[in-house]
Amino acid sequence: MRDVELVAVTKRYGSALAVDGIDLAIPEGSYTCLLGPSGCGKTSTLRMIAGHEMVSEGEILLAGRNVTTLPPAQRGTAMMFQSYALFPHLSARDNVAFGLRMRGVAKAERLRRADEFLDLVHLGPLADRLPAQLSGGQQQRVALARALITEPRVLLLDEPLSALDPFLRAKMREELKRLQRELGISFIHVTHSQEEAMALADLAVVMDHGRIVQAAPPRQIFERPASAFVARFIGGHNVLARGAQAISIRTDRCRLDDGAEGPRHHGHVRAVEYLGAAMRIVVVAEDGTEAEAMLPDSTPPIALGEAATLTWNAADEHALAA
Amino acid sequence: MTDMTRNAGKKAGPTRRGALALAGAAIGSGAITGFPTIWAQNIRNITLRQAGTGVSGLNAIAEQCKKDTGITLQLTVMDTDALAQRAATQARSFDIADIEYMTIKKVYPVGNMQAIDRKRITNADKIVPIFTTGRLTPTSNIAQGTAPHTVGFVANKTATAFQPQQTDWMTLIPTIYNADTLGIRPDLISRPIRNWKDLVDPAFKGKASILNIPGIGIMDAAMVMESLGQLRYADKGNMTRAEIDRTTAFLMEQKRAGQFRAFWKTFDESVNLMASGEVIIQSMWSPAVAAVRSRGIACTYQPLEEGYRAWGGGLGIAKHVSGLELDAAYEYLNWYLSGWTGAYLNRQGYYSAVLDTAKNFMSPAEWDFWMEGKPAAVDILAPDGKLMEKAGTVRDGGSFTERMGAVACWNSVMSEDRYMVQKWNEFIAS
Amino acid sequence: MRGAVTSWLLAAPLALVLAVFLVVPLFVLVVVSFYDYDSVRLIPDFVFTNYIEVFGSMVTWRTYAKTFSFAATVWVITLLIGFWIAYYLAFVIEGTGKRTLLFLICTIPFWTSNLIRMIAWVPFLGRNGLLNRALVGSGAIDQPLEFLLFSDFAVILAFVHLYTLFMVVPIFNTMMRIDRRLIEAAVDAGAGFWRVLWHVILPLCKPGIAIGSIFVIVLVMGDFATVRLMSGGQSASVGLMISNQISLLQYPAAAANAVVLLAVVLMMVAAILRVVDIRKEL
Repeated sequence: MRDVELVAVTKRYGSALAVDGIDLAIPEGSYTCLLGPSGCGKTSTLRMIAGHEMVSEGEILLAGRNVTTLPPAQRGTAMMFQSYALFPHLSARDNVAFGLRMRGVAKAERLRRADEFLDLVHLGPLADRLPAQLSGGQQQRVALARALITEPRVLLLDEPLSALDPFLRAKMREELKRLQRELGISFIHVTHSQEEAMALADLAVVMDHGRIVQAAPPRQIFERPASAFVARFIGGHNVLARGAQAISIRTDRCRLDDGAEGPRHHGHVRAVEYLGAAMRIVVVAEDGTEAEAMLPDSTPPIALGEAATLTWNAADEHALAA
Repeated sequence: MTDMTRNAGKKAGPTRRGALALAGAAIGSGAITGFPTIWAQNIRNITLRQAGTGVSGLNAIAEQCKKDTGITLQLTVMDTDALAQRAATQARSFDIADIEYMTIKKVYPVGNMQAIDRKRITNADKIVPIFTTGRLTPTSNIAQGTAPHTVGFVANKTATAFQPQQTDWMTLIPTIYNADTLGIRPDLISRPIRNWKDLVDPAFKGKASILNIPGIGIMDAAMVMESLGQLRYADKGNMTRAEIDRTTAFLMEQKRAGQFRAFWKTFDESVNLMASGEVIIQSMWSPAVAAVRSRGIACTYQPLEEGYRAWGGGLGIAKHVSGLELDAAYEYLNWYLSGWTGAYLNRQGYYSAVLDTAKNFMSPAEWDFWMEGKPAAVDILAPDGKLMEKAGTVRDGGSFTERMGAVACWNSVMSEDRYMVQKWNEFIAS
Repeated sequence: MRGAVTSWLLAAPLALVLAVFLVVPLFVLVVVSFYDYDSVRLIPDFVFTNYIEVFGSMVTWRTYAKTFSFAATVWVITLLIGFWIAYYLAFVIEGTGKRTLLFLICTIPFWTSNLIRMIAWVPFLGRNGLLNRALVGSGAIDQPLEFLLFSDFAVILAFVHLYTLFMVVPIFNTMMRIDRRLIEAAVDAGAGFWRVLWHVILPLCKPGIAIGSIFVIVLVMGDFATVRLMSGGQSASVGLMISNQISLLQYPAAAANAVVLLAVVLMMVAAILRVVDIRKEL
């Protein structure tokens, strides 16, 4: 059984094509990240799954049920909005209870459940506060609780972490993953951060120009990016030409010339960045092609402009689709 | 040149009016061309600001005045109440007040006006006796209310108390007056209308109106009450509290019964009510009747057995006017009574204060129609040349003597004014 | 120190304008309300007769009742109409150009003077007016409807015509500030049209509704021209009562009435502000 299935889903805004006939199957109880640069169609896709946008063509199935034309609340999805969209005039508790109120659950019951969900996101003591009296991270937890209280089969998250500072972001990331695992439902999470996708996703879906360019577990995407676009977008790869063939090589597999056999990239150093655990250097060849390497922090210092050669094992090269 | 400077200095001010007057004075006085100025010419350059009601604030008069005397009249037109306010509180905002006798009763004692020297008025002796003795003929009765002669004179130049007898100091030079009655739409009313009580005939339920100026409206109501035989007033123009109570109670009863369609306050409102057919019988002013007729709608100014409610107005001079301007003001007053204006007003259906001079400016046919109550010998034209009455028509109410001789009361201000206004407000709020 | 002086200097012009054009006239108003008067003169004094007459007269109470009923009726109607116009402009219309155009259309009634607008109702609503002629002509009624003109109906109609825009603008303004995602969030939680309206849009429009209500109520409470013209002088309002007194030179009585009206209106505004916190809007 799949939680979500998209069949040739297309979305047009006037003559502009936002989503171009995508097919996607999301397994039960999985964490999926829709990933891509802005304008790639990931948010439109999410909103079509939620029912906040109507599909132009194609079908959407949730748990095997065709929901293409159903309103959001009848789909078994719930959405957590970017910047949370909490009702500013309602307390945290009332925000969380809102979905139950709309479903006609009696007041005492819905408030009791709301408190349960606030506890789930560790916000029990702040239940009476208005959104404006909560920090960004707290607001996000309220939004999460509000989305989860209707017990959706699929939780849709639109850039849930983008408004948080980096420290909080890492913490919330863990928490999202924990919740997903505990609740056993599917999360579909839109992000433009490959790091987030890597960290969270069971299935990462990389999109570009309204199409899915690769949908696979993060490790597979990282190790075998389907195209130069994917390799570049997820980062950590050099994309180089090998005759007519494009290849990618992970930057952490590159090293300074140590005399060993293998492909090389010769040029001079344009940038040196000390990153703590590693050192990143960028080497520009005569013809202008760049390659970079993540070197151990024990590497001896290297000066800008100095001639340098990067080398790697031929076996680490990954041939890219055209 | 000194006079010029004085004038200019006095007139130069932040107001637009001042600036205009200054410009006018500068150009007219020859200051630009440098010709020497002389006294008589200076009078010709004077601008007098006249505040008055729409009844006589007529541009044609100002234009003729300019032509005949050279004096520029700046007319400001407002309603009766606003004029009273202006005269009582902003005395420097006008030079000449064109004001009703009932208003002068309130305003003169404030001390913003100056007494007019009768000796400087050329035609003073020819003024219709209504304004001097209160009697149209030596034998006629003095009507109730604020009869003009009771507020027309003061003892001397500075006194503010009215004198019951003629003196040499006048508060106003009478200019215009008339007798008001009910106006009706003869095309919509089939039976003859003869009495004030017809205003409250249930046949006209929802189609009657009365004017909402308390001092006048209550007198119309009093005429109706007397006509119905419900009450006899000692003086309809000066009611007792009990009389006021009974009159307003009567009005409220009529209002509750739905007799009235509306109450009007301005000339235009009364015209619109009548012309649109919303109202078919109401207290009305004679030029308003003419205005309805000029739209091609039948409208009669209906003489009534109980007589008319009359009103009169005149010109007064503000206290601050002096010197050259005062000379000009007297010049203007004398011009007003010298005939042209009288004829002009008579032709509108009003009456002028000096009949002899007006007669010189009217054709015999006009005189016979307007003043003598005779059938029009020729078509009667309005001042603008439009046909007003076809040949053969007789004026509503007949001759001057018939009309002004049948005045039952004058528009007035009562001693119980304050109480009356309260009761009137109660009636409107009921 | 210098900062403080600058602040005072910056605040001074407005403070001066307010003092000269608001505080001083109000002070004079209050002072005059204790004056005595006769038919033409103000008599400086300190008497309570004006207030005694205001409160002691049944006319005052009846007139206030009438004015309140006008204000309440007009408020309800302008709120209903204004809310939906604002809703339509804010949520249904897409595109700024179209919205601006429709807004301009809403202001058409204000392109002519108040008086002309009111006078224009006469040939439309009158006994022989367009509407009655159309209704009689179509056979819908036998007799012209008299209540259309010179009645409370006419007064309220004119008020609604005049003041609905004052309700539309602030409500529209608050609606435009509502994050559209809030509505999606409510829909996502299962709210239909009416429940989105009741649970999300309406509560968030409260400041706009409050501001619009203050506009409308204050305008209606102080009106005298509309009531007089549209009722054909048959209905009273507090403003009309004051206007009558002014025109009869009874300034102290008018001042006392005005002070009372001011107090009443301020209390109404205070009551609205107690219910809704409009500071969010400012």
